[in-house]
Amino acid sequence: MKQMVHRSEPALALAHPQPSLEGERAAARTIISVADLSIVFDTPQGQVIAVDRVTFSVAHGEFVCIVGPSGCGKSTVLNTIAGLETPYSGAVTVDGRPMQRPRPDVGMVFQQPHLFPWKSVRKNIAHGPRMLGKSRSEARAIADGLIEMIGLNRFADAYPHTLSGGMQQRVAIARALANQPRVLLMDEPFGALDAQTRSVMQDSLLELRERIDATVVFVTHDIDEAILLADRVLIMSAGPGRILRDLGVDLPRPRSNAIMLDPAYLALKKDCLDLIRSEGRRAFDQSSAG
Amino acid sequence: MKRINILVGALSIPLFVVAWEVIARSGIVNAVLFPPPSVVAVALVEWVRSGQFFLDLGASLYRVVTGFVVGAALGIALGVLTGQFALVSSLLSPLFHILRPIPPIAFVPIVILWFGLSETGKLFLVVWGVFFTVWLSTHIGVQKVDRGLIRAAQMLGTPRRQMLQEIVLLGALPYIVVGLRTAISISFYTLVAAELAGAFAGIVYRIEIAQQNLQTGQVMGGLAALGLMSFVADRLFAAVAERTVWWR
Repeated sequence: MKQMVHRSEPALALAHPQPSLEGERAAARTIISVADLSIVFDTPQGQVIAVDRVTFSVAHGEFVCIVGPSGCGKSTVLNTIAGLETPYSGAVTVDGRPMQRPRPDVGMVFQQPHLFPWKSVRKNIAHGPRMLGKSRSEARAIADGLIEMIGLNRFADAYPHTLSGGMQQRVAIARALANQPRVLLMDEPFGALDAQTRSVMQDSLLELRERIDATVVFVTHDIDEAILLADRVLIMSAGPGRILRDLGVDLPRPRSNAIMLDPAYLALKKDCLDLIRSEGRRAFDQSSAG
Repeated sequence: MKRINILVGALSIPLFVVAWEVIARSGIVNAVLFPPPSVVAVALVEWVRSGQFFLDLGASLYRVVTGFVVGAALGIALGVLTGQFALVSSLLSPLFHILRPIPPIAFVPIVILWFGLSETGKLFLVVWGVFFTVWLSTHIGVQKVDRGLIRAAQMLGTPRRQMLQEIVLLGALPYIVVGLRTAISISFYTLVAAELAGAFAGIVYRIEIAQQNLQTGQVMGGLAALGLMSFVADRLFAAVAERTVWWR
C-alpha cells in the first residue's frame, strides 16, 4: 500500500492522504494505513528514536500480529493507531481519517484489563454504548449479548475484583467490542496470564474472531502466539524500532492451539526464529564493535 | 486465651469507673475538682431533664454538620479542579499550601472581629478546618486515578464531562473518603474553638459556663457528651464509607 505513503515534515505533519485513482482502489480494502511513522521521545539521556519510519497497512478483516522484543516500539505503534500517542510524524489513518485522538470505531484491549472497579461486568461492557448515546436498555441488550458470547452469564452482576485474570480480560475484550469497532487493537492482552489460561484465551479469541467483523492488530513478544493467531506477522527490531519482515501466515482456519505441531507451522516458526536470531547477532556485533 | 481477652476487654471501662469512684470518694483528691462518676451522672441527668441538653446538642450539631457539609463540598469541588487542571492548580495550590498549615483555631480572634459572636463566624471556622483536609485528599486522589482506567474510558468514547463525573471522581473516591473521615474529627475540634470563643448555646459553651460556676460534675458530663458525639459521628461515617466504596 505504498501509494498511501506521502512525504511529510518531521513534526506534526497530519495531511490527509492524497486521493489518487490507485489510492481510492486501495482504500476500498485498506482500513489501517501507517506511513513513514517516526516517534522520538525526549529522555533525560537525550532524544531516543522509539519508532523509525515504519510503514505498513492492514486490509479490512485482516488479523495482523506485531512481534518484537520489549522496547522495540510495537506498543507505541499500536498506541498511535489508537489515537493515544500524539504527536507523531508521518501519517496514520484508520478508514482514511488521520488518528489524532481516540475514536469509538477503534477499540483497544490493554495488557491489564483496566476494568472500572465500581461497575459490574454488565455495566463495564455497557459503558461504551452508553457514552455513544445509546439508551440504558439498548446498552444493556448489547452487553448481555456479549456476556453470552464470552460465556460469563453467571457473572453478569459480579464486580471485577471477584473475577480471575482470564475472566477479567474476557470482559475487557467484550467491553472493547461493545461499540462495534471496525478495528480492534490488542496490546499483549494475554501477557499477564499464566500459560494455561493463556492458551485457553488464544483459542477463544480464535473462535470469537470467526464471529466478529473486525480488523485486529495484536501486539505480542511471543512468536508462537503471533503465528497461531495472525494472517500476517510483522517482525520488528529494537533500537530504533523498525519492521524487519512482513510475513504471511497461510495456515488454514479455523485454527486452535493444536496447529502448533503442524509442519507448516513449524517451518514458519523456524523462519521467524532465524530472522530474529540473525538480527539479534547483528545488533550484538554492532554494539560490541561500537 | 481469646476468651480471657474478651472478658478483660468487657471489664475495661467498668473497672475504670469503679476505680475513679473509689479514688474520688477516698479523700486522696479534692472531690470538688475531681468529682466521682456518680456526681457526673447526676449532673448529666439534670442537664437532660432541664431540656437545656437538647438545645445545646442541637446548636453544636447544627454547627458541625453544616460546617462539615459546606467545607467538604467546597473541598471536593476545588480538589477535582486543581487535581484535573494544571492551570487551576498553578493558580490555587500555592495559596492553599500556605493557608493549610495554619491551625484553624488561630483564626478565632480575626473571626470574632469579622463576624462577632454570630453563627456565621462559627460556621466559618468549621468550614475552614474541614476544607483544606478534604481539598488535599481530593487533589491527591484525582492525580492518583489509574491512568489505565482513563485510557480505557477514552477508547470507549467517554466525553470530558462524564470522564470527570464518573471515572475521575469515582477513581479518587477512596482517597476522598479518607479525607472526609479525618475532617470529621477536625470539625469537632474547630467546634470547640468556636464555642469557647463565645456562644449562647452548645455543648462546649455549657462546659465553659459550668467551669465558671465550679460545677465540675457538669464539666465532665459535657466532656463525655462531646466524646460520645464525636465517636458516634466517626462510626456512622465509617458505616457509610463502607457502602460508598462498595467495590473494595
